[in-house]
Amino acid sequence: MIMTTTAQATKTAPTTTPARSIARLLLHGGTVFALLALIVFFFAMRPDVFLTFVNVKNILFQVSILAIIAGAQTVVMVVGDFDLSVGATSSLAGAVAASLMLTGVPIAIAITVALGVGLLVGLVNGILIAVVNLSAFVATLATMTSVVGLAYLVTAGTTLFDLPDGFNNLGQGRLLNIPLPVYFAIVISFILWGALRFTTIGRRWHAIGGNVEVSRLSGVNVRRARLLAFTIAGLVSAIGGILLAARLGSASAVQGGDNMMFSVAAVFLGMTVIKSGASNLGGTMIGVAIIGVMSNGLNILGVNAYVQQVVTGLIIIAAVTLSSLKTRQR
Amino acid sequence: MTMLKPPANQTALITPAPAFEARDIVKHFDGVHALNGAHLSVQPGEIHALLGENGAGKSTLIKIATGLYSPNAGTLHRNGETVEFANVRMANRAGVVALYQELSIVPTISVAENILLGEQIPNRAGLVQWKTLRRRAKERLDSLHQKIPVSQLAGELSPVQQTMVAVARALAADARVLILDEPTASLTDTEIRDLFMVLRSLRDQGVAIIYVSHRLEEVFELCDRLTIMRNGETIVTKRVADSTINEVISTMVGRSTGELYPDRGTATATVALTVENLHGHRVRDISFTAHAGEVLGIGGLAGSGRSELLRILSGAQKHRSGEITVDGSALPNSPGVARTLDAGIALVPEERRSQGVILSASIQDNIALSNISAVSSLGFVSGGRIATIAQRGMAELQIKARSPRQHVGELSGGNQQKVVLAKMLARKPKVLLMDEPTRGIDVGTKAEIYRLIRHLAAEGTAVIAVSSELPELIGMSDRILIMHEGKISGEVAAEGADDELLLSYCYGKPE
Repeated sequence: MIMTTTAQATKTAPTTTPARSIARLLLHGGTVFALLALIVFFFAMRPDVFLTFVNVKNILFQVSILAIIAGAQTVVMVVGDFDLSVGATSSLAGAVAASLMLTGVPIAIAITVALGVGLLVGLVNGILIAVVNLSAFVATLATMTSVVGLAYLVTAGTTLFDLPDGFNNLGQGRLLNIPLPVYFAIVISFILWGALRFTTIGRRWHAIGGNVEVSRLSGVNVRRARLLAFTIAGLVSAIGGILLAARLGSASAVQGGDNMMFSVAAVFLGMTVIKSGASNLGGTMIGVAIIGVMSNGLNILGVNAYVQQVVTGLIIIAAVTLSSLKTRQR
Repeated sequence: MTMLKPPANQTALITPAPAFEARDIVKHFDGVHALNGAHLSVQPGEIHALLGENGAGKSTLIKIATGLYSPNAGTLHRNGETVEFANVRMANRAGVVALYQELSIVPTISVAENILLGEQIPNRAGLVQWKTLRRRAKERLDSLHQKIPVSQLAGELSPVQQTMVAVARALAADARVLILDEPTASLTDTEIRDLFMVLRSLRDQGVAIIYVSHRLEEVFELCDRLTIMRNGETIVTKRVADSTINEVISTMVGRSTGELYPDRGTATATVALTVENLHGHRVRDISFTAHAGEVLGIGGLAGSGRSELLRILSGAQKHRSGEITVDGSALPNSPGVARTLDAGIALVPEERRSQGVILSASIQDNIALSNISAVSSLGFVSGGRIATIAQRGMAELQIKARSPRQHVGELSGGNQQKVVLAKMLARKPKVLLMDEPTRGIDVGTKAEIYRLIRHLAAEGTAVIAVSSELPELIGMSDRILIMHEGKISGEVAAEGADDELLLSYCYGKPE
């Protein structure tokens, strides 16, 4: 029975003109296309620098922390929420680890405590949103504000440095001439990707993002799943923050702040990559790559850092406009 | 000094043009006829009841009258002139205004602003002239003999005051044809008296009022004429004084059920579900049993608590008190959907697109959603097992789709409903709850669903199905419970059930 219906309904290939298929390629592959275009553009401008091994390594190094935090953001956005506190949480985790180490606490314990702090912030977000039923916007805006305050308290408003070498090596060390944070980013992204795709909680997250009410009536414990998503986001943000502190060899209350905006941007860019327009980790990584390539390329061309920020905003608008055209077309 | 009157005047005296008229209206959605030859003619200075069962086409006709939909065929007339309403604004300008229960006021702004909403707000150089605004609003309320403080927030008013504000707004916009959809649903008896007084005085001022209600006693008390619709057609228009409630009910119901329904089965003696003294938000003191092998229909008007009862039984909503026992074991209080599913109760909800399926997900992901533990081990889902469970469901229910990976949003309503069923049937429920099992589904698939329900019952499932359509209720069920204002108002065997008796239970009027 099933075989016959499937065979019957085999879709006939739609007839397309070349012009239309190019238009479709631009729409569907627009974001990937933009990434390639950026790479070609910067390569053409500075062939001597841009695509050299050293610079590619640089780009990877620069985006590794953002990749981790954007991974955390992806999990929350798959569930249909978002988390404004990821950047602040990462700063706080870095600051906690640094200040503990400066008082003589062993590296491993300092890191564990910092991870615990991130987990706790995520848990608080989760409780506020999934149990108390605040909107994600209000709840994470509030926790962001408090968490930044806590980070200032921990650092006493200064920048903490003179961190142990063993700790700094986590961010500055190399394996096979490639910086360690790159490996961390790759491993964490793979774990999150696998969790989203192959685990029961991942499927539940996707379902909730698709339709909360349907999921609830299907027997999904929506409250627990959302709570878990925010908790994981907090934990993963803390990992990002600790690595950032190690890479910089210092910790301040604001050093992770930029990553919040960029992580949301990366997920939005990533949503334009796939047909359904949902958050997805692969797409997020392409978004991260776009942001990284652009910032590196503009640096190489000597463009002012503030201009870079303006351009990032414009790119997001372009990508999201493109994807809304796509949905309208469907 | 001629003795002859002008002829035009004479005809006008004999047949004054109707304030509003809809002629031969046809409207279909995706090939399904919602209206097929509907008429409605309302005179100025008349309160005209529009009656019919759920799905008879009343709301569609009203939406056409107010420009929300445009008809596929047929014409609208205002004072004898043909009119076309492309949108609500145009209908309002022509003096045709509908008041819906909930949409009629903006709770967060003042009464005065509500009354003059949509009009030019009195202002000087862009600054609101509050005094003028309040005075005009007050004049409107005075003409309705209402003492409502115009500066108060509209959301703070009682339901009847809110209705009055909505009426005042309609009059401020110079409505000459006023459509009221179930205006008394949330009002107390004294408030209903007040509303009727106002409506009568509007009628005496020449306003034509179209009054849609399920409450027949009110219709007989208030209205001058009535029009009865059935299956998208106007059956009759007559004076209320020439009608009786029983006659109206039998006209609303009509007669005819074809071969749509399979033969009834035999219920076993095994009790699958026992409900004792269940109280919820709206439902009160519900007690009944459902047997394995039985199809138990639940009827009642919209808002009678039918859907809430199913939601409570499925664990989707908490109840205040009462016992629910499945297959001999009592459910804990507020178990949640996952627990009730494990206990063997599954719900096919009322709103397919917002409660039944995730439109943006594939068929197999939708089916897997209620069966996550069956398709996973140690927290990891197995793609193979998802595909197997989905293909089994698709084959059993004959879901027509390209592949299990096709998005549910691309399927027809009937096939979407089958996906919801497949999802729940994979859990092998002992009690299957279905809320409006065939809403928005074509006749062919309807028949399939009825056969499936009967088949499930024959295999020992207790099926409990809520339906707003009496023929469906009678055709598919073995036994029927009717609810009225949260309580069970009657129980009837479906075999040879009397429509009129059922309907009178629906109106809470035991014979």
